[in-house]
Amino acid sequence: MTPLSREDWEDLLVLSQTETAARPLISRLLAHWCQAHHAEAAALYLDRGNLLERECTHGAREFPDVYDLAAPNPEFARGLALVRLPAGALLYAPGDVPLADASTLLISEAAKALRLQRQLKEQRFQANYRGVELEALYDVGLKVAGTLDLEQLSEEILLHAVMLLDARRGALYLLGPEGYRLQRTFGGEAEPAFENHDTALARFIAGGEAPETLLPGARHLLGVGIEIEGSPRGLIAVGDKESRRGVGPFRAADRRSLGLFANQAAIALENARLHLQALEKERLEREMSLAAEIQRQILPKGPPDLPGYEIAGWNRPDAQVGGDYYGFLDAGSGRFGLALGDVSGKGMPAALLVSTLHSALRLLAERDGVGIGFLERLNTHLADSSTANKFVTLFFAQLHPETGALDYLNAGHNPAILLRQNGQLDELGSGGVPLGLIRAARFESQRTDLNPGDLLCLYSDGITEATAPDDEEFGMSRLGEILTGYRHLPLAQMIEAIDGAVTAFAEGHPQADDQTVVLVRRVG
Amino acid sequence: MTESLRVTVERQEGFAIVYTEGYINNQGGEEIARVAYQLIDEGRKILLLNLNGTKIVNSIGISILIEIIEKMIEIDGKLGFCNLTATIAKTFEIMGLSQYAQIFPDEAQALAGLRTSA
Repeated sequence: MTPLSREDWEDLLVLSQTETAARPLISRLLAHWCQAHHAEAAALYLDRGNLLERECTHGAREFPDVYDLAAPNPEFARGLALVRLPAGALLYAPGDVPLADASTLLISEAAKALRLQRQLKEQRFQANYRGVELEALYDVGLKVAGTLDLEQLSEEILLHAVMLLDARRGALYLLGPEGYRLQRTFGGEAEPAFENHDTALARFIAGGEAPETLLPGARHLLGVGIEIEGSPRGLIAVGDKESRRGVGPFRAADRRSLGLFANQAAIALENARLHLQALEKERLEREMSLAAEIQRQILPKGPPDLPGYEIAGWNRPDAQVGGDYYGFLDAGSGRFGLALGDVSGKGMPAALLVSTLHSALRLLAERDGVGIGFLERLNTHLADSSTANKFVTLFFAQLHPETGALDYLNAGHNPAILLRQNGQLDELGSGGVPLGLIRAARFESQRTDLNPGDLLCLYSDGITEATAPDDEEFGMSRLGEILTGYRHLPLAQMIEAIDGAVTAFAEGHPQADDQTVVLVRRVG
Repeated sequence: MTESLRVTVERQEGFAIVYTEGYINNQGGEEIARVAYQLIDEGRKILLLNLNGTKIVNSIGISILIEIIEKMIEIDGKLGFCNLTATIAKTFEIMGLSQYAQIFPDEAQALAGLRTSA
């Protein structure tokens, strides 16, 4: 064996004192070992659990990356030999060289030192990575006060979970009224939804097998529920834990880590959800407020000026926006048109139809005049513009101011009340089909006269159907009594009296429908 | 974001920029290592890893990046990172990568910094 020169020893000493030169040192020692033992080639392997991993080679020969001591080695058939070392093994060729000498001892000790160094490095890595996990939990915790964007938050949570668990796949589900819905996925497809009480999913969250469709293609899955105070809010699932050798199952420690993470994520997600709800509520309130303002603009701002007549109108919706409508229009040829309508339904859809009614009335009156077929045209327009279950009851009248002749049509609305000068109460135009229901409906006009001293009252069923606590309705009779009893008062005061009477009758029972009244008195 | 890693390389005189897009996990890390070792074999001793397209690096990916750093130290080379997300930058700091590789906010500063210290 050729001994190492002084220079060789000095080089080796320098390498041994440099922390990052472990591999060059081993490489030099291996080269020296091969030279010393006339070996064509050799490889140093270090112990890694049940396997030996190749660390360093010398010579032109190929050596396997990993060597399994428990499995038969075909290499032996090709003239390779193996000697075990405390920290691993040497594989070398040919297999008949003597081994008990200083160079083998050097290699063995260097291998031990290298393995210790590697183990220390691995432990330091794992310890540092615990720091990364804590930071990840802290980061997600920060999101509680930070990101309220549900989409962005969901992505952050899923990416953190996948990263922390060294997973290859992941999916985040949020629980809503219709069950678990896939919010975010990573690394592949995921089942889009699960029913609220899906038993397979519940078993998986409790630690059992995953549903096959959850992360298709993933072989090893882990999932934990996201909960707020014991109430489920969602699920985080990860698939295929990575290592340097491929993928494998998750460990119990991973379930604990993911559980801790899910707790933090739950708070962040709940905050984001509540924020989203608050924004939506705010948006709806703004829209309702805007719609209410638009509706106020649609209704008459004040009584129209019609010589010989006093006119007043009043409306109170039962919510921010309503489905009642009243309006006055020029019916052409000196005639005065008045309308009072009630749209089916409540809230925004009803308010939108009121707007349609208002526009259609004015447009059709302006374009075609208010003559024969006016209500039919209005009916067709509404039938085409609204959905199948929406309709409008309408009382429409044209007044010839000079003569007092009143032509009126009723499309399914409450009959108007005509209080004569002599105290007689007449009902005008009961029956008829509401507008928007039957496209081919026909409407028949009727005529009466408004004489000096007569009072015409149009109203919506919010007045006559206002209920007392015992469910008794206000009714047309009571309305007629109010009109009769207060007939000599100015119209504004009459309306106050009607409102007061209805409110008193209801005895605190909440208003259940829009209330509208229009009064027309012929004075001259 | 593309989950499987895509790596592109811009070669320049004496150094190279490696762009990553996607997840730096086991597979992604191995691909970066393959490219890095090839560039080293070509004689490039300064490498810049631009992680602009990467939002996530797991522990396997980090361990592979550490190996690349060790290799660069072995050959007396330099490795820099740029365009890291805040999470990745924090992870690198905790894991000690910033002690052995330079981390820059963007590519321009990275190129200036690596050339200066070469």
